[in-house]
Amino acid sequence: MKNSIEQQRSPFAQYFKNIFDAITSTYKGMSITMGYVLTKKPTSIEYPEVREVLPKSARMRLYNDALNCIACNQCAMACPVDCIYITSYPRPKDLEVPKTSDGTPKRQVLVQYTIDTSLCCYCGLCTTVCPTECITHSQDYEFAQYTLGQFKYDYTSDDIIAWRDRILGQKEN
Amino acid sequence: MTHDKHEGKHDHDHDDHDKHDDHHHEEVAEVEDYPKDAKEESLKSELLTLNMGPQHPATHGVLRIEIKTDSEIVSEAKPYIGYLHRCMEKHTESLDYRGIIPFVDRLDYLAAMNMEVGYALTVEKMLGTEVPARATYIRTLVSELQRIASHLVAFGTYALDLGAFTPFLYAFDQREKILRFFEEISGARLLYNYVWIGGVWNDVTDTQLDFLRDFIEDFEKELDEYHTLVTSNSIFRDRTANVAVIDLKTCLAYGATGPVLRGAGHRWDLRKVQPYLNYNELEFDVPVGGDNPEVGGMVGDCLNRYYVRMREMRESLKIIKQLLLKFPSGPIMGKVSKIIKLPKGEIYMRTECPRGELGFHIVSQGGKEPYRIKVKSPCFTHVSILPVVGPGLMIADFVAAVGSIDIVLGEVDR
Repeated sequence: MKNSIEQQRSPFAQYFKNIFDAITSTYKGMSITMGYVLTKKPTSIEYPEVREVLPKSARMRLYNDALNCIACNQCAMACPVDCIYITSYPRPKDLEVPKTSDGTPKRQVLVQYTIDTSLCCYCGLCTTVCPTECITHSQDYEFAQYTLGQFKYDYTSDDIIAWRDRILGQKEN
Repeated sequence: MTHDKHEGKHDHDHDDHDKHDDHHHEEVAEVEDYPKDAKEESLKSELLTLNMGPQHPATHGVLRIEIKTDSEIVSEAKPYIGYLHRCMEKHTESLDYRGIIPFVDRLDYLAAMNMEVGYALTVEKMLGTEVPARATYIRTLVSELQRIASHLVAFGTYALDLGAFTPFLYAFDQREKILRFFEEISGARLLYNYVWIGGVWNDVTDTQLDFLRDFIEDFEKELDEYHTLVTSNSIFRDRTANVAVIDLKTCLAYGATGPVLRGAGHRWDLRKVQPYLNYNELEFDVPVGGDNPEVGGMVGDCLNRYYVRMREMRESLKIIKQLLLKFPSGPIMGKVSKIIKLPKGEIYMRTECPRGELGFHIVSQGGKEPYRIKVKSPCFTHVSILPVVGPGLMIADFVAAVGSIDIVLGEVDR
């Protein structure tokens, strides 16, 4: 419809119409931009100095509390990308069976609990099936590494405790 | 124009030679020996093959289009897909029905909620699960929010394709708020795994809904700004109006859906035609190209497809407002057994995702893993229209055409 009107207009009139349109469009656009410049606060964050506060539900790097883990293998079964490796053996019968913090007996001895974070897709399915709720998503999103092998975290090792304390300390601050 | 001028000048010289210069007569005779149309043929240049992509920023992902150009005009366009193929359909055959949801997210990563809703509804229909009312409301809410977020990306990147950078930033600023809401309810920003079979994962709190109410108020003003900034801009209108017209006949022949079909003037929206979730309780319009004569352009051109998306955002806001008025309380998960086993048989169900019709065809043989899952994705059919749209367009207009179709390659390749 607008097209037919444009065709009827003489080229001379069209020339000035174009100039008028360009000026009005530019004016409208610039007025909005100036409004943003003067009234709106910047939305970007200067990252290393200022960190975004993540919501509590944010799903970042997985953390397994190995002391509460009963090595039931359900998380490894639920994982759609098979990134959880668990090694365990049945506890010898003559030994006393320790319990987790919520009273579940630990019938298996956990030898290795490794999560390959480079394979993990952060879907959170493993956290939903855990009977003792020992596997959770932490708030740590800064764990860049130099090689792929470094992404394999064994949660029965000691350095994980130091990492956990650092993350929990950040959370409280 | 230059071609004509040149020829006219040549004829003039030719006359001069005849009148005055007899010793040049031989040369002129030689020229006359050529067939008369030889000059025009020799002016035609060879076709230049040009690769757009796979990393061309205007192709919205890793789509490669091989275009043959005659100077500036595209004479043939051939899309090549497969650069983002992840064997999703094959992979699902070795996963249980809950584990498929994270993979379904990665189909259309800009509209992951709609993908999840489509998949969950298909499985539930086969299982015969009843979903609680609150879960249904939350599902409608998130899929409409995701529609806005997805259209915002389409709007922002489309303006970016046509050379305007600022609308992109404004659009992503607003999209960030939606993603923030999704992160609070689900825990992830892009690939949520939020809609589960039988309901949704987490409940939505009242403070989060209040955040949405604030967002809606802000966003309505923002939408008006987008229209002043982009839709009424004369450069944008010149670039998009009457460019790359996909008429209704082509749309139907190729099976186009979503804003491409609606931009061609056909009022077809599965939310109205085959209501799922609780869309039959809600009031909203289905905008189509050409029903607002003030927009200008032809029905089915880039401008109309763009404008359909912009108006759908407003309709989605209308839906969200109605949902927030009567949000029911209650459980968010229906009764689903711990190990999901689908009965033996097949099912096909389709839903309306931001880019068109999304269909899931699930074949089950009674086990806890599907025998086959086939995904009917809208973008795949839209990519196949490109060879029809391409010929005759300028290269810059072809970029505008690809942008207006709004392709996400994760969905095309699967």
